[in-house]
Amino acid sequence: MKKPIFTLALLMASTSLAQADGVLNLFNWGNYTSPEMIAKFEAETGITVTITDYDSNDAALAKIEAGGTGFDLVVPTHMFVPIYIEKGLVQQLDLARLPHHSNIAPEWMDVEWDPGRNYSVPWQWGSTGVAVNTAVYGGDINTSGIFLDVPPELVGKINVVPEMSDILTLATMYYGGEPCTEDTEVLRKVRDGLLAAKPNWLSMDYGATEKLSNNDWAASVNWNGSTMRARINNPDVAYGYPREGYPLWMDSVMILSDAQNVDNAYAFLDFIMQPENAAMISGFARYANGISGSAEFMPEDMQTAPEVVIPEEFKAAGHFTPTCSPKAVEYMTAIWTELQK
Amino acid sequence: MAERNFEVSRLPGFATTAIIVFIILYLPIITLMVYSFNGGASIALWEGFSLRWYEIAWNNDAVKSATMRSLTIAAAASVISTVLASMAALGTTRRDKFKGQTVIYVLINQPLMVPEIVTAVALLIFFAAVKVATGYQGLGYLIAAHSAFCIPFAYLPIRARLEGMDLTLEVAASDLYASSWQTFTNVTLPLLMPGVLAGAMLAFVISLDDVIITEFVKSGGQDTLPTYMLGQLRRAITPEVNAISTALLGLTVVMLTAFFLLTRKKN
Repeated sequence: MKKPIFTLALLMASTSLAQADGVLNLFNWGNYTSPEMIAKFEAETGITVTITDYDSNDAALAKIEAGGTGFDLVVPTHMFVPIYIEKGLVQQLDLARLPHHSNIAPEWMDVEWDPGRNYSVPWQWGSTGVAVNTAVYGGDINTSGIFLDVPPELVGKINVVPEMSDILTLATMYYGGEPCTEDTEVLRKVRDGLLAAKPNWLSMDYGATEKLSNNDWAASVNWNGSTMRARINNPDVAYGYPREGYPLWMDSVMILSDAQNVDNAYAFLDFIMQPENAAMISGFARYANGISGSAEFMPEDMQTAPEVVIPEEFKAAGHFTPTCSPKAVEYMTAIWTELQK
Repeated sequence: MAERNFEVSRLPGFATTAIIVFIILYLPIITLMVYSFNGGASIALWEGFSLRWYEIAWNNDAVKSATMRSLTIAAAASVISTVLASMAALGTTRRDKFKGQTVIYVLINQPLMVPEIVTAVALLIFFAAVKVATGYQGLGYLIAAHSAFCIPFAYLPIRARLEGMDLTLEVAASDLYASSWQTFTNVTLPLLMPGVLAGAMLAFVISLDDVIITEFVKSGGQDTLPTYMLGQLRRAITPEVNAISTALLGLTVVMLTAFFLLTRKKN
């Protein structure tokens, strides 16, 4: 009786894709990995890379927590990095095996979510701000007032992306609070402000690249990379960095604890920390990376793009949204639910 | 007498309603198809006719492998679920009424009642344990999951066909000393075939279409066409997605037509 079961187990083991030599399983956001960069990596190392897509941090975390996925690398957003570390889902990096680790730009080395970069390697980063069609509205666009105290020219023509964390962080900072605040005084202002502004909005939707390009929307809360693509289609579109404060985000690559191709994962991490390879990642997805010296390898239109290179005067207003406390999340969810009604 | 002549098509507003419904049903799909031929990189700004997105999709290895994977899973799942559904349908109709019949119906049709996300989370946790225990991460899990939720879609048309079939033919076969197996292969199965084909096709399409369960169950390198397309959402969608959808739509239409012609000839 035991024999068929044994044969079956053998058959299953032989078809398992994760254990073969020379492979690497990357779990990343969809449409986010430069195929040219992967082709170059495969040609240089002889390692075959398999990419699997996800579309939200929560879904990726849920799958990895369940286990048995066979993935080697994952690319979470910064506020999820501490969660992966705390739950023991990722391994600490052996920096001796990453000769290009020092290429990480100084400002991206000692980050709050992973001081000294002992767990994660930068992939790409960007910001959330406001995209405005300057032919419709000629005033100051570097403020969250664009969607919270909507200028008359933009009433009924502005969209707000339905991302709780981004919108509440922008609003909290506009009303003088800190991201993830538990101060009910500030939170009351945030709620009242959002509820009062909502009637002036056209919609709460994704798809800003398209809708800004074809003038369906005159403005939108939006991400920098998407705004850059809209601006290329429609030169009237400009990107504003709210001076009251705006959220920054960074996605970083980490090696999973149950990775089966650890050596190959190290080879990949070291590869993407070389400036010319990091530039290929940016050139594809149109966001900045965190590697020193990669700018000169990037497409020319990105080196000077106002959406990618943050102007000096607005740099200080950018904040990485921390991992909020459960209480702060509860407040945010309550406000968000009320806003959705 | 007026009641006897009642016809829906004579009700006031019939034509208008029908036209509006057809427009709502098909306009988005037509828009999607039109923009698959867009020369520019936008799905909303027309920049001239071009086949470049079809070329890009055709040369995109990720799309190719996702398509092949979708078709493989759908083919396997539709065969497995149709066989199981046929057996279930025979078991529930070709016998006297029995105690607990309703419970059996409900159990068979469970995937229709239970929200997909619940099944997805349950399978994620269950299969993860199996994956860790066996080390096997192949397509088997997706095929098993798809077969399971395709069963009711295959079962319903087969059962409907069985219930509509004339029992006297089977009784006559037994009277002429046919064994139950002979009765089944020579009488029941040929008569049942249109139901089986309809069930298999429905199962195939449902499997091809699935996102949520696949997203939760897939292992490394197992993106199907729908999960691949979902992954594009956060970044800019290009007409490549339109081109893939249009090609998929074309494939479905061709398949439906082929099946229609095949089954019609037999009748």
